[in-house]
Amino acid sequence: MSDKLKQVLSKQSKQQQNESIDQSDDIVQLVGFIIGEEEYAIPILSIQEIIKPFTWTRVPQVPKYVMGVFNLRGAVIPLIDLRLKFGLSEKKHSDETRFIVMKDRDDVAGFVIDRLTMAIRIKKGNIGPAPDTVNGDNTMIDGVGKQEDKIITILKVNKLLERDF
Amino acid sequence: MDEFQEILQDFLVEAFELVEKLDEDLVELESTPEDLELLNGIFRVAHTIKGASSFLNFDVLTHLTHHMEDVLNKARHGELIITPDVMDVVLESIDLMKSLLSIIRDTSSDAGVDVSECVVRLDKISGGDGDVPTPVASAPIIEATLDEPEEAKEEEDEPDYDNMSDDDVEAEIQRLLEQRQEEDKAKRAAKVAAGEEVLAPPPDPDEEAPSEPAKASKPEKKPEPKAEPIKAPVPRASTKAKSMNDDEGLDAKAAAPAKRTNNTVDQTIRVDVKRLDHLMNLIGELVLAKNRLIKINDDVEERYEGEEFLEELNQVVSIVSLVTTDLQIAVMKTRMLPIGKVFNKFPRMIRDLSRELNKKIELTIKGEETELDKSIVEEIGDPLVHIIRNSCDHGIETPEVRLANGKNETGTISLKAYNEGNQIVIQIDDDGKGLNAEILKSKALEKGLISEKEADNMGEKEAFMLIMKPGFSMAAAVTNVSGRGVGMDVVKTNIEKVNGIIDIESETGIGSSVKLKIPLTLAIIQALLVGVQEEAYAIPLSSVLETVRISKDEIYTVESRSVMRLRDDVLSLVHIGDIFEVERILDSSEHAYVVVLGLGAQKLGLIVDSLVGQEEIVIKSLGEYLKGIEGIAGATIRGDGGVTLIVDVVALMDIAKNVKATSMISDQKSESALSREKTKASDYTIMIVDDSKTDRMIMRKSLEATGMSLVEATDGQEALNILKQGDHHFDAMLIDIEMPRMDGYTLATEIKKYNRYKTMPLIAVTSRTGKSDRMRGVESGMVEYITKPYSADYLSSVVQRNVNFKSEFLS
Repeated sequence: MSDKLKQVLSKQSKQQQNESIDQSDDIVQLVGFIIGEEEYAIPILSIQEIIKPFTWTRVPQVPKYVMGVFNLRGAVIPLIDLRLKFGLSEKKHSDETRFIVMKDRDDVAGFVIDRLTMAIRIKKGNIGPAPDTVNGDNTMIDGVGKQEDKIITILKVNKLLERDF
Repeated sequence: MDEFQEILQDFLVEAFELVEKLDEDLVELESTPEDLELLNGIFRVAHTIKGASSFLNFDVLTHLTHHMEDVLNKARHGELIITPDVMDVVLESIDLMKSLLSIIRDTSSDAGVDVSECVVRLDKISGGDGDVPTPVASAPIIEATLDEPEEAKEEEDEPDYDNMSDDDVEAEIQRLLEQRQEEDKAKRAAKVAAGEEVLAPPPDPDEEAPSEPAKASKPEKKPEPKAEPIKAPVPRASTKAKSMNDDEGLDAKAAAPAKRTNNTVDQTIRVDVKRLDHLMNLIGELVLAKNRLIKINDDVEERYEGEEFLEELNQVVSIVSLVTTDLQIAVMKTRMLPIGKVFNKFPRMIRDLSRELNKKIELTIKGEETELDKSIVEEIGDPLVHIIRNSCDHGIETPEVRLANGKNETGTISLKAYNEGNQIVIQIDDDGKGLNAEILKSKALEKGLISEKEADNMGEKEAFMLIMKPGFSMAAAVTNVSGRGVGMDVVKTNIEKVNGIIDIESETGIGSSVKLKIPLTLAIIQALLVGVQEEAYAIPLSSVLETVRISKDEIYTVESRSVMRLRDDVLSLVHIGDIFEVERILDSSEHAYVVVLGLGAQKLGLIVDSLVGQEEIVIKSLGEYLKGIEGIAGATIRGDGGVTLIVDVVALMDIAKNVKATSMISDQKSESALSREKTKASDYTIMIVDDSKTDRMIMRKSLEATGMSLVEATDGQEALNILKQGDHHFDAMLIDIEMPRMDGYTLATEIKKYNRYKTMPLIAVTSRTGKSDRMRGVESGMVEYITKPYSADYLSSVVQRNVNFKSEFLS
């Protein structure tokens, strides 16, 4: 009886292990958002938080897409408008506008996006490399995720957080 | 090994402190060679280092200190006079000690420094023949422990301690101590008996024997017999000196630095600086929260005036703010170090310099107990070195010149530190030949650092500041001491880094004085908050000299720069908006405020729209992404949770030089661009502001026929928000006077503040018909006054007239 139980238990634990391996190995969790017409995504683990827009302070002598700095619970954090960064025109903040606070090691910044879409689970196999034309070290594009009806551009968070002026 | 590391760390901290002290004391000793008390103190310090280093098996260090100790011991017994030459060698050995200690700190071993030459010289001074073998540096402790028992046996024939029980060890220690005491007694007796002169450093059983008898025996063994036989009769070394020495050994073990006044032991603990930094950060957060609380309290006070709970709230807020301030000061104090830490090295430096330059220089130090934040103390060391070197080299004249000028042969440099308000002032005075503004100017011209014109306009103080310019040097030739034109530039950079100010005064022939004014701490500062348009900036109060309210016609333009008269001076001006690219949305009023910034001799007037007030702010970095923005030193979080940028006054002064004057009167260009060509009726946009839905309806109906676009707002506040958003360009506004939140007059006044709406016609639509009402309407900028009730045609025609409505659009 106890032998049987052990067998069952070991079998179960093996299954669990396999499942967790499956999850961590093959599935990437992303958060999708819209800027302009396009849908983009970044890995969920590089998001510190998503907040509704609030006041920020303009900083002089920076490119236009750096909107300024804002106070996130006592920390002064830069705020970057992704519309402007991606060469789109300025747009008034609406009810759907959000600040996504992204982090990469010690670097933290807030990014303004037009609206959130959803959390996406996507198989690694369904992520292709960035198109050749935008390849190279300088691209902000990490890859392209294919879903049934659409494709999503996955961005490199460390590139977004890199100062390029 | 970890334990060893720990001991090693303690040893290093202590040893560095002690060596610093040695340096200082030795120089003092040179001027008062008879001070036996001082000499004893020095000897004890040297001895303590020797003891500790031998305990840790740093043989090279032990070897060196031992020989130094020999010399000192002789001097102590009056067998050797400390001449400058002797002192040179002793000081050289101290330098070697320092480098050895640094090497130990970096590599945990004392290999790599050749001490043999110095040791030979030391040995010669102490009467030896100079034939001293150098021990090989022993790196790790493992090797050392191996041969210890052996050596121990050689000397004392000691039993194997490793196999003893604790009790036995105790007993053995007791036995050894007794044995030593016996020996000492015997020796003292021998000393008295024989008056012969030989030196033997007293064995120090108390220091090491109790904890590790085997090791204790080692240091004495190795170098000593070679210098002098240990058992030889010893001269009249007083028993008093010896017992003091032993006491000191115990003290040193308790990690208290050997002090000449060794009766009080400081109650201290060593704390990792990181922890203090963390504590300081937390206090910073608390100060921010306190500011916020005060702001909320003010708001609440306004809203619930006269309510009973207010008093209670007030009390709590004041207690919190009081305690926070105290706490902040207390934590700041934990980070404070006496400036003496920096001053200590100067007596030695002056001594070396005066010998090198063949000048006679005396240094007086005052206020070394003045305390400064640790991070600042670390920054000011180098600047002071450069200033003092400069004073020695350029300031103080040679003895002959001094005598010829009727001055005392010996020049004096005095180093003072004292508190002045929220600042520490470090003052370096010399009674040398002083600075000559004219010569400085011509030198700077020669080197192409300034233009002729600049030279002509330069005041005396500004000319003095020339010595801080990189590449500037008065020395005819580059010497060991100075002349490269780098040093004083370092001074400027470092002092400005800690938000300090440099002030130079000088009188030719009498001397010069350099004052460094440095804020107490870096993290939390007092700031003046200024407003420009809708933005606010914080200016460190330490660089603000004064604020002046001026009217715009007091500003003159000279060579495309704005200037103003400030009493007898001409002050160059720059608008803060020009530096920080502030958009001029609001029309600035007739008056402006000028914040006079001072940095050394440099002055600059910063024009701002308003002065907000003084506040204690916590400096926060803008982070990696936004670092290095010119003119911005950081940011702070205000009571309302918003972020305010802190002005970097140093950088601002530089930027200001390149900013051309902009007229204070706003550009009309942007406005004309806004009134675009109208091609159809719906290009005209009118805003209707009225709190009554019926009234809005009536107006809408009256205007709909024209085909104009209409936007409605229910009160003044909403209307203003719509304007601010800038989604529409309005050609006119119809405004009711009596409205909740913001009435029509206020709205009109607010609108007129915006440059782009200056010319927009505002039409009052109201049932108020009194003469005074009409007057108020005109005062606040209304162009038409329509009284209710009115006919639809009349309203329409008034609007059409005011927006220059083209009749062809009427269908």
